[in-house]
Order: sequence, then C-alpha cells, then structure tokens
Amino acid sequence: MKKITKEIIERIEGEATLELEWEDEKIRFAKIKFMNFRGIEQILVNRPIHDAIAITPRVCGICSSSHALAATLAIEDCFAQEGEVLNITQKAKDIREIVLNAEKIQNHIKWFYFSILPELKKMAEVPFNDAFKDKEWLEAQRMVMESLKISAIFSGQWPHGSFLMSGGVTCDPLSSDVINAQNCLETIIRFCERSLLGCPLEEFLSYDSAIQIMGSRSQLSSAIDVMMHFGFDSCGRSYDRFLALGDSYMYEGGLKSAKTTVMSADVKYVNESLENTFFESPTRGYTYSKSALYKKNYFEVGPLARMMVSKDPLIRDLHRRYKDSTLTRVTARLCECAHLLKRTAFLLEHLNLKEASFIPPKYNLNYLTCKGTGIVEASRGSLIHEVSIKNGHITHYDIITPTVWNLGNGDHENPSIAQKAIIGLESIQQADFIFKSFDVCSVCTTQ
Amino acid sequence: MSQIAKAKIVWLQGLTCNGNSHSFFNYPQMESFDTHFEVLYHPLLLGELTFESLLASHITFDFLILEGALSHDKTILQKFNHSFEDVLDNLSKRAKHIICAGSCASYGGIFRLRDEAKITGALFSGKNKGGYWKEKRNVINIPGCPLHPRWLVDTLFQLIKEEKISVDEYLRPKEIYSYLMHHGCMRNEYFEWKVDSKQFGEKEGCLFYLQGCQGPMTHSTCNKILWNSVSSKTRAGSPCLGCTEFDFPKKALYETHTNMSLPQTPFGISKRAYYSLAGIAKSFKIERLERKLMDEKDN
Repeated sequence: MKKITKEIIERIEGEATLELEWEDEKIRFAKIKFMNFRGIEQILVNRPIHDAIAITPRVCGICSSSHALAATLAIEDCFAQEGEVLNITQKAKDIREIVLNAEKIQNHIKWFYFSILPELKKMAEVPFNDAFKDKEWLEAQRMVMESLKISAIFSGQWPHGSFLMSGGVTCDPLSSDVINAQNCLETIIRFCERSLLGCPLEEFLSYDSAIQIMGSRSQLSSAIDVMMHFGFDSCGRSYDRFLALGDSYMYEGGLKSAKTTVMSADVKYVNESLENTFFESPTRGYTYSKSALYKKNYFEVGPLARMMVSKDPLIRDLHRRYKDSTLTRVTARLCECAHLLKRTAFLLEHLNLKEASFIPPKYNLNYLTCKGTGIVEASRGSLIHEVSIKNGHITHYDIITPTVWNLGNGDHENPSIAQKAIIGLESIQQADFIFKSFDVCSVCTTQ
Repeated sequence: MSQIAKAKIVWLQGLTCNGNSHSFFNYPQMESFDTHFEVLYHPLLLGELTFESLLASHITFDFLILEGALSHDKTILQKFNHSFEDVLDNLSKRAKHIICAGSCASYGGIFRLRDEAKITGALFSGKNKGGYWKEKRNVINIPGCPLHPRWLVDTLFQLIKEEKISVDEYLRPKEIYSYLMHHGCMRNEYFEWKVDSKQFGEKEGCLFYLQGCQGPMTHSTCNKILWNSVSSKTRAGSPCLGCTEFDFPKKALYETHTNMSLPQTPFGISKRAYYSLAGIAKSFKIERLERKLMDEKDN
C-alpha cells in the first residue's frame, strides 16, 4: 500500500515540513521542505565587504558568532588572494576560538536539555508539560547563560555579538575579564560533572568504551537507556560518510572519512545544488533549502563527523557498536561538549593579554577586487562563506550552512543524509526524533 | 505559595533568525518569570499545546509576542502548511496585547531590505506607518537586533501590573528608548574631549569618528543594563550598529558617515552647538587621554 502523508517538525531552529511517501507501512522517501525565505545573500550585494561581519550573524540567532567568523575569514582570504597575508596574533586567534567554543557549548547544552531530553521524556511517558517548571530545564538555562556570558565578555553580547574585524578582534580584555570567564566556565564544568556526565571531566575524557558511559549514573546514560529502549541504537543510520572542512585543534586541515578511514578533504570539491528548490523552478521546486555535496556525494557534518575524523576513541567505540545511528550521533554531540569545556579552560588559562588584539591590514580594501572563502566548524558542522568583491564592495555572497549538508534534497536513488536516515522507518515519531538528532537549523538553511 | 493568576503568552515567528527567542532564553530570573507568566506556546519549547492544537483552540491570552518580519506573501512565509495570514488573523484576535519583539517585527529589519513592499514590521515599514497592519491599537514595539531580554520581560511585567506604558512615536516604551546607547559608554570621556580611537582592538578612544559608532544617535539602554550581565558592543571595542532604529542596518556599518569631513551630530544636538564645542575640545591636547589607560611605564 502506497500513501503520502504531510507531517510537521516542531521545536527545531525554525520549522520544516515533511512529505512522506509510505509503502507497506514503512517510509519509502521523504521530501524535506523549508518554506520560509529571507535572502541575506541578496541583501549583502553592493554593500562594503565589512558589513558582512555585522549582517551575516543575523542569518542565525543560535550560531551568530560562527557566521561572523566565517565572514571575517572570507575577508581575510580576500587580502591573502591579493598578496597580503594578514598577521593575526595568537591572542586574537584564541579569543575567536573561545567565543566560538562558548557558542557551541551553549548550543549543545541547549539542544540536549531543551530539545532532546523533553522528547525522550515524552517517549518514556515521564511528565513534561512546562519547561519553566522543569528543574533540569531551569538548571540548563542557567548554564546556557553562563556559557554566553563567556562569549559576551569578549564579544560584547550574545546573540549577535560584535568583536571581529579583518586583522584580529576588537576587544582588549583585562585579566579580571578573563578570570570572570574562567569562573563562568568552571560553573558549567561542575554542572556537567554533577548532572550531564556523572563523573569528573578528565575521567569522562579518558573513556574509550561505550560501556564506561553506560555504567555511570548521569543524564547522558539515562538518555542512552531510553534511546536503546526505543531502538535508536540501530535506526537513524545514514551513509557513514563524514566531513569536517574547517580548522580544529583536534585535527589538521579539512578531513573526510568513510567509516573509519580518514583522508584529507578540500573545499574545492564542494558543490552546491539547487535541485528541487524554488530557485531552480518556482513551480516544480518544493523547498528553499539548497543541497551541498562533496565530490557529488552527500556527507554528514557536525559533531559526529568531527569526532570521527579526529579519531576520538570513545566515539570510535560507539561507532563500532552502533554505527552512525541516532544514539552515536546524540552521544557525539555531548562528547564534543566535554572536549570543548576542557579546550576552552586551556585557552583562557593561556591567553596572552600582552599581545595586540588587532593589527590593521596595509592594503586598502576599497581597491580590492577578488574572491575569498571562510570556513568555520560551527555547532552543526562545516559552515562556508564565499564572497566576491569589486573595489571592496560585495558583488556576490554565497553561504553554505551545516544543515544544507545534512538535510539536502536528494531523490529516491540518491537520498540526502537525513533522508537516508529515516527511510525504512515505521513511525513518524521515530523520524521526528532522528531529525532532531541532527540538531536541524532551518533558519540557517533558508537564509 | 499563593497562586497568582498567570498572564498567558503565545509566541509566533515570522521571517526570523530566532535571535530574539535566544535572547529571551538569557533572562536571568526565569523562576520569577514563571511565577507570573505561562507560556502557552513557544516554537522552540515543548509545552502542552502544539501548533495545531493552539490554532484549533479558542483560548484567549494576554500577550501575543511576534518575532521576525511579517509578510502577506505566502511564497516567502507560511507556518506549517497554513498561510501566515490565517495564523496571524486567528491569533491576533485572541490577544490582549501584541508585542513586537525585535527590530524585524517592529520595522521589518534586515529582511525587509530584500523587498520593502512585501516585507514589513507589524505597524511600520521602516520609519513609515503602515506595515503588516495599517492600524492596531494594542501593539508595542521593542526593537533591537536582538532585543535585550530585560526590555521584553520588564515591559510584560509593567503591562500585567496595568501600568500605563508611555511610548514614543515608534511605539517604543519611553523607559527604555529615551536613553541612548551612548549613555554609560566607557569611552564617554574620549567622546567629550574628541579623542578618536586610532584603531580597533584597544580600550582607548572613541569609536564615533572613524569606526562608525552610532551610539549617540541610537535609543537603547545597552550600556545602562549591559548584555548578558557583563558587556556591550562598545565595551568589546566594536561600534554601535544602531540596531534599535528603523533604518537598521544602514550601509557601511564600520565607517563613520561624514559630510564635508564632519560626522553626523548626536541625537537632538544642533550642528552649531555640536561643532562649536567639538572644535574647542579638539583644540586642547589632553595628555592623559592620549596615553594608554594602563601605561606599563607607570609601574
């Protein structure tokens, strides 16, 4: 029996609707539709290039700093293309990473406690009717604030902070500012040890077996229990192909991996497809989301991809047992959160305030006519900004967001990452949760 | 604990980045908020109502909070297979107050720039009256890109206490928008004595003359109540972008717009007054202000 149903996906960043094709009570194919369009790429045209640092964060309220950084890197690449490689001090690089990490820590905690846990509670029939009354939600919200305070100390505010400029950062923090940030971070680490991870951070980071997580009493292990009970250790699998194009302290250069073999990756093999979009055809298209492919293949991006290419022992072990299932994907995001806490503590401890925050470029941007690319590993995966400028003004701006990688619009023969992850399922509830495991951001997608 | 009748809130998004929602999630006293308010529906939170059950119900509520720019055009904005018009018509009739959270819902904001005829705020399109609706009596604008969580929550509290909120010509609460971003700026002394910031990345100097700071023309309490309880754009060495104003975002946000090499004058200050005073201040060289705030030599 074939039938088509229309479903909606609520409580993601933005909204998505699904058109599911069923056969013999199983999902045979899913059209993923993002119907709201804003057009930031068009709004940027004819503006001076630095406006991109202020305007692109408005693509997304939850990863605004990642967009600002991608725009800044794209501008710095423009200078480099024209022969001036900007000297960004270690201090400026570290502040950029601290702000980015604070945003990711916030994102992962928010995603788990605001989105994943309530869904799991609902599945397990634990009452959850009002976020504002839920003890765990309220505590997580406080940790989200602490994390964003770390950002704001350097970026002025969050969301939509301002601290970047081609040549470095605009802030010039005091030692007492850094201490304030360290204390915020310590509060989050204590919370994670007490609640999320159930053991000291260092101990968690030394784990190399899934059994060690499951053996501890923590919100993560309870979430894993519920996911296993509902079969998420075997469903939600996709192509087992991963990609991380942006820099990270955990690995060098862009990397891709198929299963466990890791190879270097290059942004030149990325292409964007307009297939099935309203941009290609206002009548036959069905979504505003473009698709991104690497060497014409779909690759998964995000924390799971980063953990896989950096050969994290714990996630490798989960992957050996449960492949790229929903369970592995959810755990990878929280495991990344633990790594980010440690890394950010290290950065704050070693931040050299004596260095300059900013070194002005020598070239006058108003004479530059060229192209630049900026890549950032954002919360949800590889984010690419590509800009063309003429006399310092934008002639073309192209943004490829992480969700475009994970939730593209494939067809029956070649479904995208998320499409493949839900094909063959028997219930919309499972599909809905699997979508959320990707931490979907339709806001970014339909910028 | 005594039971207080809670004010009910429904949160609806148009064309948005979710930034105002995420800013709201930074409100530090959520438990106190919960004592007085009940969020019936927020698109990012699991609650008792789903989107469909909200639409199908006849529940009335105290506040409809709008986030994002609005449009009647269903090819760019719809809500879960419903036209945005149907949804907003349905919900706005049931709300006592309509609160536009952020510059997009207030004026159209950034997204309006793509199509000024079709994308607007609720009652304004930029500075012009007449947006998604021509007229409506129960709307308050709380612009900002995003808004500060306290601007929203403090206003909601004032409304449930049935205080009369006095608003300016853009329907912004005067308690918030009579202030300027400039008020409380740590760089004020440099502004007074006309000491420019020589370059980004320093604590010293005013960002008004070269870096495009719009603090003296922008209505907000950013430097009075601070963001995330700790900072503000100018404290982080970046210029104010003027995000609470109807013309946000202007072009060339990191450059000071000048006329005959003179910058725009601060809000409500005549050119004659401003330039005379600026000329005098500039004629003095105040050595302390030319030095680094913390000079290594002093140690």
